Amino acid sequence: MSERDTTVTGTTVIAGRRMVPRKRRGFFRTLAEQRFLFLMSMPFAVMVLIFNYLPIWGWTVAFQKYKPGKLFWAQTWVGLANFIDLFQQPRFYLALQNTLTMSLMSLLVNFTFPIAFAILLSEMRWRGFKRLIQTVSYLPHFVSWVVVSGIVYRMLSTDAGPINQIISAMGGKPIQFMAQSNLFYFIVTGADLWKELGWNAIIYLAAIAAIDPELFEAAKVDGAGRWGQIWNITLPGISHIVIILLILSIGNLINIGFERQFQLMNTIVLDRAQVLELYALRYGIQMNNFGRGAAIGVVNSVVSLTLLFVANGIFRRKTGESVM
Amino acid sequence: MTTTRSKWFFSRSGWTFDAVNALIMILVLVVTLYPFLNVLAISLNDSKDSVRGGLTIFPRIFTLENYKTILNFGNIPHAAMISALRTLIGTFLSLVACSMVAYALHHREFMGRRFLSRFLAITLYVSGGLIPGFLLIRTLGLMNNFLVYILPGMVNAFNIFVIRTYMDGLPHELQESAKIDGANDFMIFRRIVIPLCQPVLATIGLFVAVGQWNSWFDTYIYNASDPNLSTLQYELMKVLQSTQTGNEAAYGSDVVQRMQQVSPESIKMAITIITIAPILVVYPFLQRYFVRGLVIGAVKG
Amino acid sequence: MTAVTKRLTGLLIALVLGLALPAALVAQGSPVTFSAFFADPNANWANMEDEVGKYITQKTGVTIKCEFPIGTADDKINMIVASGQYPDLISPKGAAGVLIDNDAVLDLDPLIRKNAPNIMKVIGDQFDRMRFNTKKPGVYFLPNNDTIGQVNFDTDSWFKLQLAALKEQKYPLVKTLADYEKVIATYVKAHPTIDGQPTIGLSLLAEDWRFVISVTNPAFWATGYSDDGEWAIDPKTFAAKPHVMRTEEREYFRWLNSVNAKGLLDPESFVQKYDQYKAKIASGRVVGVIDADWEIQDAVNSLKAAGMYERTYGRFGAVLKSGIKAAYNVPTGFRGGYGIGITTSCKDPVRALKFLDWLASEEGQILIAWGIKDKHYTVDKGKRSFIPSYLDMKNNDLATFQRTTGIGNYNIGIRYGDGVKDSTGNYFTSKNPELILSGYSEEDKAALKAYKVTYWNDLLPQPKEFKAIPWGAAWSIPTPQDSPLNEFWNVEQDITRKYIPMAILGKPADFNKTYDQMLAELTKSTGKYMALESELVQDRMKLWKILK
Repeated sequence: MSERDTTVTGTTVIAGRRMVPRKRRGFFRTLAEQRFLFLMSMPFAVMVLIFNYLPIWGWTVAFQKYKPGKLFWAQTWVGLANFIDLFQQPRFYLALQNTLTMSLMSLLVNFTFPIAFAILLSEMRWRGFKRLIQTVSYLPHFVSWVVVSGIVYRMLSTDAGPINQIISAMGGKPIQFMAQSNLFYFIVTGADLWKELGWNAIIYLAAIAAIDPELFEAAKVDGAGRWGQIWNITLPGISHIVIILLILSIGNLINIGFERQFQLMNTIVLDRAQVLELYALRYGIQMNNFGRGAAIGVVNSVVSLTLLFVANGIFRRKTGESVM
Repeated sequence: MTTTRSKWFFSRSGWTFDAVNALIMILVLVVTLYPFLNVLAISLNDSKDSVRGGLTIFPRIFTLENYKTILNFGNIPHAAMISALRTLIGTFLSLVACSMVAYALHHREFMGRRFLSRFLAITLYVSGGLIPGFLLIRTLGLMNNFLVYILPGMVNAFNIFVIRTYMDGLPHELQESAKIDGANDFMIFRRIVIPLCQPVLATIGLFVAVGQWNSWFDTYIYNASDPNLSTLQYELMKVLQSTQTGNEAAYGSDVVQRMQQVSPESIKMAITIITIAPILVVYPFLQRYFVRGLVIGAVKG
Repeated sequence: MTAVTKRLTGLLIALVLGLALPAALVAQGSPVTFSAFFADPNANWANMEDEVGKYITQKTGVTIKCEFPIGTADDKINMIVASGQYPDLISPKGAAGVLIDNDAVLDLDPLIRKNAPNIMKVIGDQFDRMRFNTKKPGVYFLPNNDTIGQVNFDTDSWFKLQLAALKEQKYPLVKTLADYEKVIATYVKAHPTIDGQPTIGLSLLAEDWRFVISVTNPAFWATGYSDDGEWAIDPKTFAAKPHVMRTEEREYFRWLNSVNAKGLLDPESFVQKYDQYKAKIASGRVVGVIDADWEIQDAVNSLKAAGMYERTYGRFGAVLKSGIKAAYNVPTGFRGGYGIGITTSCKDPVRALKFLDWLASEEGQILIAWGIKDKHYTVDKGKRSFIPSYLDMKNNDLATFQRTTGIGNYNIGIRYGDGVKDSTGNYFTSKNPELILSGYSEEDKAALKAYKVTYWNDLLPQPKEFKAIPWGAAWSIPTPQDSPLNEFWNVEQDITRKYIPMAILGKPADFNKTYDQMLAELTKSTGKYMALESELVQDRMKLWKILK
């Protein structure tokens, strides 16, 4: 902990000032001192209040048998019935399982690979090639899942798909990848990696760019090789952003959306493809069961916030990094 | 540790490292470039021929018909202008707002720090749903209004946290000495911190700009009845919509008359290219911010 | 006349003119704009700037401002309802229930009888079929989806075979599934590859909702039942059940299982995406498809553009065993169903209704289907036909045709269907038998000649061989907003989409077991919906005064 303080993390230690505990200095005195900070943040906090917090009254729908058009006070209140009903649906648990599994796999893969890629890219010596890779690698991010799923299907097809052609050439039997339920999680994670690698790496590239070059010079003088530099300078240098993003992503574990699964699924792998948001769509909104859709949203948010606070707490204790 | 020894050690491991690195990069290049070239090829290929599949990176029957179909749709030029406008204004304002809040949060002694951080973090995982949001916008008079593209998303917790984390990682001597010299928080922000933050601002700016450029759902829900406020992506969605056989055909009723000339796949591809093109043009200008040490060195000097 | 009388007369005339002129102006059409929302997107909507649109505005004074959804209309309609601000006109398709439950649309029953003579004429004795249900028997929507008196000149049938295969086998009679299979098997044996790629005997499409079109609907077509969506309604008791629960349909899927066991079924059938499916068809190597014309349209267009006409398809109403009558042509009568309504937000509902009425007049209907006389069409010796340059545009660039002329943009109200003739002896619509014939290729015609018929439709049992279905079609019956029936589709689809592919791809010995599992789950999960749907059907028949 203390070593970190003196190397790159460098917490603020203003000579002398920090020593004095805040209470004694008086509330208004501090307010006056920090007036700029307040002015720079409070107006925007108000905007967040308006646009993000006010609509939360929509959570009340989770406790109603909601019908659009009827006024707020005219809705039928059913208390926790929507939730109880939800927790009794076997499909809910199936969706939950699928969601969490794919999320965890995605978390693992979408941290390690982009970081590794960003580091390798920043170590690249040929400027022109480096710039080319930088530009090209994020292009798949802009190709929609509809198109990407088409490409994935074609790649894995038994009907002249390249992967199976390679397998046949090596003497094996073609495999119908998209029809294997067990492979679905991997295919989704793999496709996601392919699509988002370059884009996810951008933020790490920026973080690496911010590391003080003097530190690298110092390390070189100390005899560190490429790996030594990476291990001792680069990785710690981006550790803050990595941890913050990790905490935020853990909060999102249950929130992964559904487009990937929806586009990549077919009738055979259906059971593995149902994720929570897709479930909410089909068994909530599409059935005009707004109460259930809202209940799922509430469950989502509660779980996410719990995960967030827990992850944040753990990381704060272990590394001193914290989102809040 | 003599210098000759470290030099030898450095250059030898460096060489293999670079070679392996280059190989990996080439692999990444091929794998990520292919889908894009594939999309480009299909978009430039005669749409009836595209249905047969089998295209890789070159068109079989070259045509600009797909693009012509889209551009003939009518409102595209005006919509593109609106999209550009919202991207520029929205990105700028969002960066200003988020960086200011991030700066405030970056001060550990800031009174509102804990509260504000939590306040913001919660918004990332909590949402009231589509209809309450819709009613709010309506109550605020932001329906059929350009500002609905800018205001609601302007202050974004994720962006704020990323910028703040970046600020936390900056060397503090500069800020300290400025404070001792008597500068106030805002001046430090403007003169010292922001220039140091160029990489992260470029990054977040890119994220926000792409989000603005690609968004169409807000146009659909809030501004659909005013063609003057239509955005490029929304117009493109409408084009795509028109080429697809709709659900109603499933039950034997009149098939919605669609543009028989152009198949949906070709249009999807052309739309993708039209959307990516401006980003491809702008990104190289941002790349200089991702060069290691460049920014810090410059500011320090 | 005395001077005074002259003066008085003059005053009187002035008075009459003064009153009549504005009235005449209103009658002809002082300008008014109505806002409208259509759940069916129309890509070629040109804000009434097209030729027909301008003519309409000039004649009636009415301009319509339209909004369309992206994707499903449900989101947008829910917003509209939640905000309480409705457009003047609305055509919500399936979401009608939401609007009626919120009293958003007007009951047009009294207004129609007074203000809409043309609509009254067109609807004739089918007036009751415009009503909603017995609880809310008003006329809320004017049907604009189904048309009056519609005659289908060339009905589609699902069991399609490549013309090349039929030709090579000297155009065998294809009446049963066994015949159908034989053509495929023979051709695949003789041609293991087509154009260098492996031949595929039969390929199905199972992507999302298209599953019902290509995989499960054919089960009822082949066993003599007609299209009631996912339901089968007993004609005597009017009880409803999911159609795959019919005992005959089990045999259809068993047949598919055997086709798979023989290796004639594309193994990717249940995995492939729509564009992969189309690509296979467009490459010319799929001998048989069981699908609707409109679903393979893109692929067929591609084949034609490449000159591969012999790889396009002829179609048959193949049935499980001889004696069953394929019900593609069974008459449903006017189905009512989806329509256009006038909302409570409309400030001048009578004017709106009069406008819709004008569109339903003979003049209006000819205008929206044929365009402007001597501009888009001519009448030569009493026969109406398009001016050649426009006909050309219509056949080759339908989008531009629709957008510039406006023909096809205004099918928003009630109107006659194909095959109905107007007072001049010409068809109201521009779809007619000659047009269909001109759409047949040489290969089509050769095949039809060998089968000794003029249209593919001639191979199917004709409408007069059936009794009209008293309830129309189950899928066109609107569901109330809060009825549990809204859940039926997703629940039933999740079960059928899981088990049917298993049953077809599995070993023949396991077929019965898998199918029974599916039936058991269906009975368990959809039991409550069956009762509700039966109620709905009976309710409709009471509404239409068929049942008491």
